[in-house]
Amino acid sequence: MVGEELVGGPFLDADGMKALGAALAITVTGLASAWAEKEIGTAAIGAMAENEGLFGKGLILTVIPETIVIFGLVVALLINSA
Amino acid sequence: MSRPKEMTRAVIVGHKSILKETIDSLHDTNLFHIEDFVEDESGFKISKPLKNAEEVSKKLVKIRSIANYLGIVKKEPVVQKTDSVLRDLDSKLNELDRAIATKTESIAQLDNELKDLDSQKREILPYLSINLDFDDYRGYESLKVFAGMVKGSLDGSQISSITKAYELYYDPQSKAVVLFVAKSDADRVYEVLQDLGFRELRVPERGGVPSELLRFIEQKEAEVTRKIESLRVDIESLKAKYADFILASDEILSIESQKAELPLRIATSANAFIIEGWTPTEDYDKVVSAVNSATNGKAYVTSLEIDEEEEEHVPVEYNNSKIAAPMQQIMDLYSRPKYTELDPSSVILITFPLMYGLILGDIGYALILGAIALAVKKAVKSDAVKPLMDILIYCQISTFIFGIIYGEFLGFSLASLHTAHGVVPGLIPGWETIVLFEGLGGEEFTFPVHRTHMVMTMIAATVTIGLLQLNLGFLLGFANISRHHGMKHAVLEKGSWLVIQLGALVAAIGYLGGNSGLAYVGAGILVLGIVMLTMGEGIKGPIELPSLMGNALSYARIIAVGLSSIYIASTVNDIAFEMIWSDHSKIGFLAVAAILVFILGHALNTVLSIIAPGLHALRLQYVEFFGKFYEGGGRKYNPFGYIRKYTEE
Repeated sequence: MVGEELVGGPFLDADGMKALGAALAITVTGLASAWAEKEIGTAAIGAMAENEGLFGKGLILTVIPETIVIFGLVVALLINSA
Repeated sequence: MSRPKEMTRAVIVGHKSILKETIDSLHDTNLFHIEDFVEDESGFKISKPLKNAEEVSKKLVKIRSIANYLGIVKKEPVVQKTDSVLRDLDSKLNELDRAIATKTESIAQLDNELKDLDSQKREILPYLSINLDFDDYRGYESLKVFAGMVKGSLDGSQISSITKAYELYYDPQSKAVVLFVAKSDADRVYEVLQDLGFRELRVPERGGVPSELLRFIEQKEAEVTRKIESLRVDIESLKAKYADFILASDEILSIESQKAELPLRIATSANAFIIEGWTPTEDYDKVVSAVNSATNGKAYVTSLEIDEEEEEHVPVEYNNSKIAAPMQQIMDLYSRPKYTELDPSSVILITFPLMYGLILGDIGYALILGAIALAVKKAVKSDAVKPLMDILIYCQISTFIFGIIYGEFLGFSLASLHTAHGVVPGLIPGWETIVLFEGLGGEEFTFPVHRTHMVMTMIAATVTIGLLQLNLGFLLGFANISRHHGMKHAVLEKGSWLVIQLGALVAAIGYLGGNSGLAYVGAGILVLGIVMLTMGEGIKGPIELPSLMGNALSYARIIAVGLSSIYIASTVNDIAFEMIWSDHSKIGFLAVAAILVFILGHALNTVLSIIAPGLHALRLQYVEFFGKFYEGGGRKYNPFGYIRKYTEE
């Protein structure tokens, strides 16, 4: 298996790999959420400048990608408790 | 669960001679939402504003510009009688206007004077070190005077090589130079000066010794500044004296201008007028009797039928109890319900604080934030802030209850917990954690609930709570649709989702229990549900199927955000306590620092505790819950009238 020499090797044991996997799950999904929210948030602020009544809609659309990082967190917790 | 207030469409018709009385009576009742008239082929036209409109708006502009100049802010109202304010309005307004005009004019004059003095001062400054009377610079027939600055350094030898007949004043520090030479030598001397980077300066026109002049100017400056100060104090006292008058007359004039401009919004012919609008059905009689008594029954008021198409555009007024009313803010932030829809304010009165409490669940933060909310509610009188504080208080009540269930206080565990690695002591001695039943993944479900030790179980629990709320949403959607489009549509569009979930549940139970018969039955129900959904919503129904899973999983954020809040709190606690334990000094410096860390850390987490759980709980309502049944987009019921604060009839 690729990377087998790493597991149990001098660098990382199985727990270390798990921790790294959990960290990756959070990091990548966090970046993805941030990226998506940045794009939507900018547009939402622009729309709100025109019409303040759009705050509710803007907020909703902006936080929709938040789900990505929540899934990442769930996966990280699953990895950790498995 | 409530619907918006029932509305009645009313029309008021009358002769133009009673228009003013009608407008006055409608404005006083503050119950009639006037529908703006759009000119069409009917031959009716919008009318001109009432006669006093121009005068009223002129005064209004004047009073607002004065209020703006004086910086008058809204404050605790002193209620005044309308007629007494109105009686003195003109004279007081003129008096005030004149007083301010003269004061600002003299301030402007003095400001100019100040600038003038400043430029004079600047002219004198370079000559200060030479201190020759300025009259000595002028009026020679055979002498040339060079006055200015040089860049290089100058001494007598450079000049004396050209001529012996000169007189030089030079300040090596400021590099100011004044040189008197015979006119015949002037050109050659000028060349020398130019090599030194000579720049000529203007000699001030007034005579006198620079140092004395400067003292004189500075005296004058101080005097002018003092005058300006006293004028400003005068203006401040004007502000104090007239603030109540300005606020009251602004209100009266606003009311008058609203009334005066109403004819622009209604239909009129040569002699008659028609006012069309909406009033809550319960208040219809009040409106009718108010108009009748004001016009001696000369106006004709009647109610009209509302047809189904119009129902969508009926202005919406909430109809909630006092307890649920603050939630209307949350509704308005999203979108006001349509007239035909259920108003979910009273549902989110339960669900929003529930989600918030599930996320935060900490006795300490509940007490802190509850106290803050109560204090702000007491201190701030603003109508916009109060409902928000009410919502925050509701949330803290729920947080407190879940704080007991979770056994948490500022991130500390209140009950002691026995784990495989030993006993984790709690804050309250003698409160032992009780194991209730087996959770998921080898975890134990305990009371109090230790969220950090039963993550998997809590994920499953929160997703289940999510499914419950989503199904509540489907049921509300069912009620909305069955009322307006009939039972069949409701069953196909919303009921199908329930059938699909039932099918999935039965299939899962059958599969996991090893009962393949049951699994097939479940699969059958599932397919039936999908077929119903396709019939109800078309092809977009099945496409949206996976969103149900996404929505339900999204509720896992309840535990996720909650854990992050716990970890921040317990990290702060760990740092603070480690600092205290490791403190062996007698002075206790580290102990003080530890207390600071503790306070600042928890202050930070308190702020985060409003934002993070608040936004996530809000999002669960807006996106997941409302997505299942709510449309929104209703028009605000905005009655013609004014809520008086500073005046009374």
